[in-house]
Amino acid sequence: MAFDKMELKDIEVWDGNFAAAQAMRQCQIDVVAAYPITPSTPIVEGYAKFQSDNFIEGEYVMVESEHAAMSACIGAAAAGGRVATATSSQGFALMVETLYQASGMRLPIVLNVVNRALAAPLNVNGDHSDMYLGRDSGWIQFDAYCPQDAYDLNFIAFKVSEDHDVRLPAMVHQDGFMTSHTAQGVHTLTDDQGYGFVGEYKPMNDMLDFEHPVTHGVQTEEDWHFEHKARQHNDLMTKVMPKIQTAFDEFEKLSGRKYNIVEKYDTEDADVAVVCLGTSVETAREVAKEMRAKGIKAGVVGIRVIRPFPFFEIQEALKDLKSIATLDRSNPNGAPGMLFNEVAGCLFNTDTKVLLSGKVYGLGGRDLTKAHLVELFTELQANVDAGKLTTPQQQFIGVRGPKLSFL
Amino acid sequence: MLEIRWHSRAGQGAVTGAKGLADVISTTGKHVQAFAFYGSAKRGAAMTAYNRVDDEIIMNHEKYMEPDYVFVIDPALVHTSDVTINHKETTKYIITTHLSTEELVKSQPKLEGKEVYTVDCITIANETIGRPIPNTPMLGAFMKISGMYEMDFFKESMQRVLKKLPQKIVDANMLAIQRAYDEVK
Amino acid sequence: MANKGWDEFEIGAMLRTFDGSIDDIAGTAQEDRSYSESSSYRASVADWRLEKPVFNKDYCIDCQFCWIYCPDVSIIARDKKMIGVDMDHCKGCGICVEVCPTNPKSLLMFTEQADEESEIASWPSKDEEK
Repeated sequence: MAFDKMELKDIEVWDGNFAAAQAMRQCQIDVVAAYPITPSTPIVEGYAKFQSDNFIEGEYVMVESEHAAMSACIGAAAAGGRVATATSSQGFALMVETLYQASGMRLPIVLNVVNRALAAPLNVNGDHSDMYLGRDSGWIQFDAYCPQDAYDLNFIAFKVSEDHDVRLPAMVHQDGFMTSHTAQGVHTLTDDQGYGFVGEYKPMNDMLDFEHPVTHGVQTEEDWHFEHKARQHNDLMTKVMPKIQTAFDEFEKLSGRKYNIVEKYDTEDADVAVVCLGTSVETAREVAKEMRAKGIKAGVVGIRVIRPFPFFEIQEALKDLKSIATLDRSNPNGAPGMLFNEVAGCLFNTDTKVLLSGKVYGLGGRDLTKAHLVELFTELQANVDAGKLTTPQQQFIGVRGPKLSFL
Repeated sequence: MLEIRWHSRAGQGAVTGAKGLADVISTTGKHVQAFAFYGSAKRGAAMTAYNRVDDEIIMNHEKYMEPDYVFVIDPALVHTSDVTINHKETTKYIITTHLSTEELVKSQPKLEGKEVYTVDCITIANETIGRPIPNTPMLGAFMKISGMYEMDFFKESMQRVLKKLPQKIVDANMLAIQRAYDEVK
Repeated sequence: MANKGWDEFEIGAMLRTFDGSIDDIAGTAQEDRSYSESSSYRASVADWRLEKPVFNKDYCIDCQFCWIYCPDVSIIARDKKMIGVDMDHCKGCGICVEVCPTNPKSLLMFTEQADEESEIASWPSKDEEK
């Protein structure tokens, strides 16, 4: 091989950004086109350094915007390369137009999204506004709760995305700063293990196959557009989840680390639970354990795969609970909140009598403290005791002033 | 759970120090976390960095912390920042200053009755490394106060953490760590 | 294409230029390539035209301007010699006539029903004012 391998310790102290960059190195990506933005900058910076230090045989393409970055990634993926990039916030927003191109063209690109608030007011810290902005774009969306997840899910994302039955791009989300700039112990794979898991890239309909010329990015009007989109939705609804499960199973065999489409913690006998994303899942797990010592049977449901949305897995996870709260880290701006709506949709035509409330929290990196969660679990228990919601359906957590609630 | 809060100025190496400490501790089988609060911070702006250490895997991602140790690596911050915020009865302070502990506490009544140690990391760094980067000396002082590790092990570990730097700089850092270990009071 | 079921087409906004594989595409002239049904080469736009270009090779200097400027790749040239116009793909835009530098022009627009031979026989003569 023309490039060098890197010796890693079994446990490295890495932040989420460096963990993602290391996974990208081990996957041996052919092309990264990027326009760096806080807090995702160190991912593509890390790839560029690995490449210039001869740890990667690939190309780093500098471009003039995030729109151009994803456009170059689309071109490189259509040409037949393994492609990835990273972005956040405003950069993600600028990329949105091209996200739909990538998924509609069925190109397996991996995008690391280091979640950050959307201006105005300008803010570099973590919330899920950008994640939510991408949720109808036709991409697969994985969510990491800590640097270890950010590392592992990159391998899984390539594996699923590049499968010839899937061929859909995938995002790996991690919380800006709370994961991306927080160093923790990360169990590593060796270079051979990591590359072995994703395998050599197998092109499909690549433009550099001169014996089978193809036109990518064609136009269809009402005669074919709907069928293409319906096919894409069909594949997301029926083909992707089984492939993700297989990838999770294979990854567990390789690493011993088990991922689930919906992560359930202490929910088996629980009365109350929160449904959330990102680092909040882990903080809530710790608080749920402490609540049990106080006599409240608390659990946590973490969503690992946001798109396709795990409709039946959520139904299953929540059916026996008595009172739950969804935690949305994005401003719903005139609606109940994405998680509230999706979860309510899962539960609607079922027999469950679970009480559902929605919380909006943590915008612009506002801390979600353990004290907030203690209060929340206590409130959920009060709902159980009263047999009905004791609060309005939508409440804000951690915002100053009198308690803000709606609905 | 051991929790540490660093008070620093952006550019003084608190993040590197926190990550370096986490790296060393991680090799002993403990679980670690190192993070920082950033704004759109420029070099020189006051900032805080954090360490968590535990025998169990650390799942707490809240930024709120009641620290066991507070490290102040810039001499002005003890006067201008709220270095005692969210403190506990048992919180220990290691503060960079040219003053003696008595003089410092006298000038900052908020430290009265607290377990305060002082060491002049800035002077030590200037005289050893040749630049006012007070992060590694602070770790030397911490080793002395906490008794966490033997100095031989700690210095050996720090040499590995700093291995990308030129040998001359690494050697100077070792000297700085040792001096702060010896001089902290 | 129209006969395929909704889930029978290949995924992606992608069309194949050929059915199966092709050798030496660069060394094969267009008319000798077996384009697939989904290739735009198989689609005629001849009925879009109201006017058509007529080529008079007596005045052509093979400068290739028309070949370069034609937006529909409808000028047929072989070995850098102008041969004629691909009337299946010409939409009658007249750009080839605009850019033709000869005097008189080697390409002129006529109504679709005009007879080529008689138009060439009565081709305008050199414009002395130019």
